[in-house]
Amino acid sequence: CSCIRNQSFSSAEIISGVIKSVKKDGEWKVLIVDHMTTRILSSCCKMSEILAEGVTIVEDINKRREPISSLEAIYLITPSEKSVRGLIGDFKDAAFTYKAAHIFFTDTCPDALFAEIGRSRVSKFVKTLKEINVAFLPYESQVFSLDDPTTLYSFYSSQANEAKDKMLENVAEQIATLCDTLKEYPAVRYRKGPEENARLAEEVYQRLIAHKAENPSMGEGPDKARSQLIIVDRGFDPISPVLHELTFQAMAYDLLDIKQDIYSYQTTGIGNAKEKDVLLDEDDELWVQLRHMHIADVTKKVTELLRTFCESKRMCTDNANIKDLSQILKKMPQYQKELSMYSTHLHLAEACMKKFKASLDKLCEVEQDLAMGANADGEPLKDAMKSIVPVLLDNDVGAYDKIRIILLFIFHKKKGIGEENLAKLIQHANIQTDKSIIYNLQNLGCNIIGRNAGKTLPDRKERTESTYQLSRWTPIIKDIMENAIEDKLDKKQWPFIAEPAPINTTQTAVSARFGHWHKNKSPTEYRSGPRLIVFVIGGVSYSEMRCAYEVTRATDGKWEVLIGSSNILTPTSFLNDLKTLDQVPNPDP
Amino acid sequence: HQSENHMHLQGLDNETETPVILVSVELDNSPALAEIFSQAQGIHKDIQLIRLEVKRLCEQNSCMFHGTSTSTTERDSIGADIKARAENVLARLRDMDGTAHKLEETHGANSAVTRIARTQYACLSNGFHNAMFDYNEAEMSHRENCKAQIQRQMEIVGHEVTGEEVEEMIEKGQWNIFSDNVVTEGRTARLALSQVEKRHQELLDLESRIKSIHEIFLDIALLVEEQGSMLDSIQNNVQKTDEGIQDALFKIGRAKHVWHLCKIKLLILHFPLFFS
Repeated sequence: CSCIRNQSFSSAEIISGVIKSVKKDGEWKVLIVDHMTTRILSSCCKMSEILAEGVTIVEDINKRREPISSLEAIYLITPSEKSVRGLIGDFKDAAFTYKAAHIFFTDTCPDALFAEIGRSRVSKFVKTLKEINVAFLPYESQVFSLDDPTTLYSFYSSQANEAKDKMLENVAEQIATLCDTLKEYPAVRYRKGPEENARLAEEVYQRLIAHKAENPSMGEGPDKARSQLIIVDRGFDPISPVLHELTFQAMAYDLLDIKQDIYSYQTTGIGNAKEKDVLLDEDDELWVQLRHMHIADVTKKVTELLRTFCESKRMCTDNANIKDLSQILKKMPQYQKELSMYSTHLHLAEACMKKFKASLDKLCEVEQDLAMGANADGEPLKDAMKSIVPVLLDNDVGAYDKIRIILLFIFHKKKGIGEENLAKLIQHANIQTDKSIIYNLQNLGCNIIGRNAGKTLPDRKERTESTYQLSRWTPIIKDIMENAIEDKLDKKQWPFIAEPAPINTTQTAVSARFGHWHKNKSPTEYRSGPRLIVFVIGGVSYSEMRCAYEVTRATDGKWEVLIGSSNILTPTSFLNDLKTLDQVPNPDP
Repeated sequence: HQSENHMHLQGLDNETETPVILVSVELDNSPALAEIFSQAQGIHKDIQLIRLEVKRLCEQNSCMFHGTSTSTTERDSIGADIKARAENVLARLRDMDGTAHKLEETHGANSAVTRIARTQYACLSNGFHNAMFDYNEAEMSHRENCKAQIQRQMEIVGHEVTGEEVEEMIEKGQWNIFSDNVVTEGRTARLALSQVEKRHQELLDLESRIKSIHEIFLDIALLVEEQGSMLDSIQNNVQKTDEGIQDALFKIGRAKHVWHLCKIKLLILHFPLFFS
């Protein structure tokens, strides 16, 4: 067998490159993945794309599988014990699960596991063995995720936990891999304060050095010296993940039950009414256009776009709205995919507004006042308690919504509140069973029970753009992003691990963006301008993701801001994660 | 494709000290697989042919603007070809759907062969939809080009018209080009007017091609609708459970067992050297 243990650094073609490289005309293959690679692959490619490259079925390595011994198998797996055992097991004894194996590890395979493979029967069937760098999930064109929701627990739990050190190393390695893939060698900085920030930053720095030794092209380019990587903790802005946002994506994921980016709704098309599942990802061009817009603008925009569309196809409609869509579809079935997009987003917007009108109207006003410390007219909040108590006493408001109000109240106080006051609020709200959520925020460094002067939330930038009344809040990370780009980010509060090289101020032309690197674009299409990469320990919220795009746009493309975290938060998932911070960890599922 | 029986000497049976030979019998899914792949290949080829026809149509359409004379019959014949192939693909897709259903009944919804059939079917339907969409786009863009040309020619004869007016003229079939302010004398004018007539005819033919294929578009839309868009998501395609796999593995287990019982016979028949 010709086992080649080498490192593949193809950035733009990573996954499809893998599959293309073993494609043989006329021969179909089986693709075998584990949990992590399923997510990575799913975010990079569609089934029809890999089918076009010869993959006819995708299997989970951890499930018992039928043998398909007439086909060769591609194993795209993490070099973990579990996955390697699965691989070895497929060819153990007399098993002939597949005709041959092409193995692609998403990271360096530990020597012990590699030796095990060499010793076992599978080695006779291996036709390819490669390590590629794909340790992270490109969730969106400017957002990455490490797909590990247990990180908050590992970093911040009150229980002694051995997982923390290993987790820190893993995270550091994944961040370094990301930089490697992007050909970036950024200056690493972190928010001074929590110990984890400094430790992680240092670890990332070391890993970057190691990666650069193997891949000297990292950071090459005149502007790349200005690239920065900022490590920040979730606790630095506890408001953004808790606030009710009214921009489309953030609102939809908060209010509706959207799991794995799939939105389900009832609709009538050509056939009868049925449940339709839609994936909200960047392949949906309309979603990309709408996702950061304020909900008030969304329905307007979609209706306008639909009307324009119908007019351009000479379709006479008086009302281009949801009810007419099935009629329009019957007249123009060739535009099913486009019409389907309009239908999805009209339904989605409608669903959001329905939820909003049902209960959130009043809540949002109170939340914004608390977050901003002032009302819509700019008058400082005088008696916050007065505005929140009616909400807490209202039985129609859900427990988590009440908790969010209480938290915003506490954050508004900046230094925390007295133990007795908190107990009273919890009692009014009747949320005793969930009260750990509130107390556990102290693990993140937030002031909950205030005694004397502690850390306060950072000073905010003055923002003069007009905003909707219920959307006055700007995530704190936006200030940080803007300051970092303008080189105004305070070095004492945000120190560098190593002093960056002196910056020359000449700006070079901007080429292509990170944007479609995972969609099969040619590998030469990489960005020459500097990047700002932000990593939040413990989860990033949709509103913060939005900021990366807003800030990038404001630089006119000179900078590209990427943001990512161990996982992506909805307010509910964040509160759920917080709830268990003081508990004993669950055994491995 | 013959089933291969792989034999492997596992060791000696502790009690009887006779060699134990393990045989793994290949699950008999390869004929079913072969059938699916062959069906898929056929449909894929037809879809490629449709794409080629669409390309030909585009070439024909652009010829018009490069002065080469083309006939509507050529375009109509391509259109008819595409329509025929599309009907064929639809029929074959329905067959494949039927095959997938049968496989589901025999082998279960989670069996590899059923999932392979479903995936091929879904991706082919999608590819078909895209190819036909491209056909529609080709016709629509040709339509726009014809309209634009009509406008230009009308200008030449001194009677400017807007895009809207051209649309109206097409819909109502009114071609009042012989009204006031129109220059009808002279070679240029005559040429221009004849161009307008030609394009008018093309537009009418185009409309009728599109109308005749409307049913097919409805069928395709229904097809795609029935599958749902989620089938293209890889996450959705990864094997979800191992229900039913037990059955399949049990069959292999039984085969091993049967051979174990017959191991003495086997030894004598196939391994005479053992006893020498």
